Amino acid sequence: MRNKFDEQLKRLHVELIQMGAACEDAISAAAEALLKGDESLVPAALEAERDLDRREREVENLCLKLLLQQQPVARDLREISAALKMISDLERIGDQAADIAELVSYVRVPDGSGVLHIADMTRAVIGMVTASVDSFVKRDLELARAVCAADDQVDALFDQVKRELIDMIASDAAWGQQGLDLLMVAKYLERIGDHATNVAEWVEYSITGVHPSNN
Amino acid sequence: MTKRIFRAILTVALSVLLASLVLIVGVLHGYFQDRVLDELSSRTAYIALGIEHEGVEYLEDGFPNDCRVTWVAADGAVLWDNREDPTQMEDHADRPEVHEALLLGKGHAARYSDTLSQKTLYYALRLPDGSVLRVSDTQYSVWILVLQALQPVALVMVLAFCLALWLAGRLARQLVEPINAMDLNDPGEEIGYEELAPLVGKLRSQKQQISRQMEDLRRRREEFTAITENMSEGLLIIDRETRVLSHNAAALRLLDAQAPAEEDSVLALNREPGFRRCVEESLAGRRREELLEREDTCCRVLANPVEQDGAVTGAVLIVLDVTEKEQRETMRREFTANVSHELKTPLTAILGTAEILENGMVKPEDIPHFAGNIHREAQRLIGLVNDIIKLSRLDEGGAAAQWETVDLRAMAEEVLRQLAPAAEKKQVTMTLEGGPTAVRGVPQIVEEILYNLCDNAIAYNKPGGSVQITLSSTPESQRVTVADTGIGIPTELRERVFERFYRVDKSHSGGGTGLGLSIVKHGAAYLGACIELDSELGKGSTFMLTFPPA
Repeated sequence: MRNKFDEQLKRLHVELIQMGAACEDAISAAAEALLKGDESLVPAALEAERDLDRREREVENLCLKLLLQQQPVARDLREISAALKMISDLERIGDQAADIAELVSYVRVPDGSGVLHIADMTRAVIGMVTASVDSFVKRDLELARAVCAADDQVDALFDQVKRELIDMIASDAAWGQQGLDLLMVAKYLERIGDHATNVAEWVEYSITGVHPSNN
Repeated sequence: MTKRIFRAILTVALSVLLASLVLIVGVLHGYFQDRVLDELSSRTAYIALGIEHEGVEYLEDGFPNDCRVTWVAADGAVLWDNREDPTQMEDHADRPEVHEALLLGKGHAARYSDTLSQKTLYYALRLPDGSVLRVSDTQYSVWILVLQALQPVALVMVLAFCLALWLAGRLARQLVEPINAMDLNDPGEEIGYEELAPLVGKLRSQKQQISRQMEDLRRRREEFTAITENMSEGLLIIDRETRVLSHNAAALRLLDAQAPAEEDSVLALNREPGFRRCVEESLAGRRREELLEREDTCCRVLANPVEQDGAVTGAVLIVLDVTEKEQRETMRREFTANVSHELKTPLTAILGTAEILENGMVKPEDIPHFAGNIHREAQRLIGLVNDIIKLSRLDEGGAAAQWETVDLRAMAEEVLRQLAPAAEKKQVTMTLEGGPTAVRGVPQIVEEILYNLCDNAIAYNKPGGSVQITLSSTPESQRVTVADTGIGIPTELRERVFERFYRVDKSHSGGGTGLGLSIVKHGAAYLGACIELDSELGKGSTFMLTFPPA
């Protein structure tokens, strides 16, 4: 009985890794499309998002089956409940990435990284998503905490991008449409950062048994 | 085992005890029955005597009532009974004991009585007058006697049972003790029981066999590990559930991963899309090859399914480091593209000019100018082809060039003489310092290097600038330094200027083929010399060529 349970837990772990990887695919495709203005990558991001939706349902089913059939306790229960929470965050990241990809055809990130920090923000967010998935894969508590810390940096970058966009629109009203779209992109990125933080927090919960928000 | 032996002994003891009890009871019962009959007969005889002497008065005169006495007449009619009314009683002549007594003088019988619902013992005696005196007693009294006799027997039994309990426990323990004391890992020659010898022998031989097999397995595993660990290719073996069954250090290094935990998924090592595709496809039974490109490394993953009885049971993944190969490939592609482009540029100019001339659209007085264009572009084309040939010769290993001792001073003077017109045109002054310096090398290549360095120093100089060539010699090395006061090279481009067709000035206005420094680099490498570059933007550059000791 226990053997079968262990088997299923392992499968859950693998499914989560695959979901995390799909999530990374979605965000990196969207980011590349955005930063290089390469619209050919948009379908890849949308496809990754659909893949994520499908995987979310699969993992959800697996988790519920585990909960109902095995009635896990203690650490196992923690891991499964954390997984249930994590997949919804991962799925949301995929959605936001798809949203960004859909905006790619309307926005052009102005050349020169000195103009806008949106590229920095994108890179920071991708780093966070990768690190949060990594922290889960390696059960690395330090890395999970580092992700939570990195979110402040992304928030600061969001404020900076916002100010830069205000200046841009103020200097030339023609930038209005673009500016607003870019603001949306920045907001999506900021939300992805938040979801990555959530994932890292659930990783911390599944390792320590204490959710960081309770500290 | 102890328990079973204990139970067995106890069962035997208990059954023996019970059997003896039953036998004792049987023997006692028979014995007491005989005794009761004896007593009945003596009592009957005694009563018979009484009746003979005193008549029926003897019976009625306070006769003890502890047993039943019946006096039956010779015809069977009951004359007297101490328990019941004789007139009510039926004819007793057919009673076996009475019948027997009438015939033989005495008789006895044991009968179950319906009236009293118990077994009764009868003894009958024929009196001299022909009547029969019968005395009877219930068997009940026999049982009372038996029970009385049994009381001490039961006590003995209980004691015996306790003894059996204790002895059975002790014996069972003693029997099992040698077996428990046996060391199963190393059963020595001393075995408590002969019957165990074959078992122990089998155990010993199996143990030896197992340890031999274990040793064999361990050696094979060590061999396997030694081979895989020393492989430069990464090796991963996974099962159907993507769990890592085997991995080597190279795989972890190439995938930049930590050692996986027991039964961890291979996806925990790496989850790049290409790697995932490899895992998925190979577990679906298809071979797959993917290139994993990262910022500074590049790996090729080959995934092959492992099949057993037609079903995929796992996959073998081989990770190869193809960074260098990919870099060379990229360089080759770039070189081919660059060469085509560089060759096409002068040809296009020549073609255009020739077309104009052919169509007669040029005034006769402009023809020399157009012809000059063609001449200049054709010269550039030849220069380029020459440079490419030189480079490819260096690439192929110097085309069996002759090594000899070269005097750097004489060589430098020759180069300066060749370049004097160009320097004059650019208003650059050239100076040469240092005495004769001998190095081992291929004269053509050394000259090529010096020529290209000086040519660059002039071409990228400012008007009125200078080029300083210094020869220095120490016991360890010989060195040529070419320092100019030109435009300089930005720090971040210092490595790139040695690449083929790379130009700091993208506009190509400086002339040249873009291959000069590449020839210098490859030439120096061929001669075993070392080229260093020091430069300050706007102030000039210094190239240092250091030869190993001759």
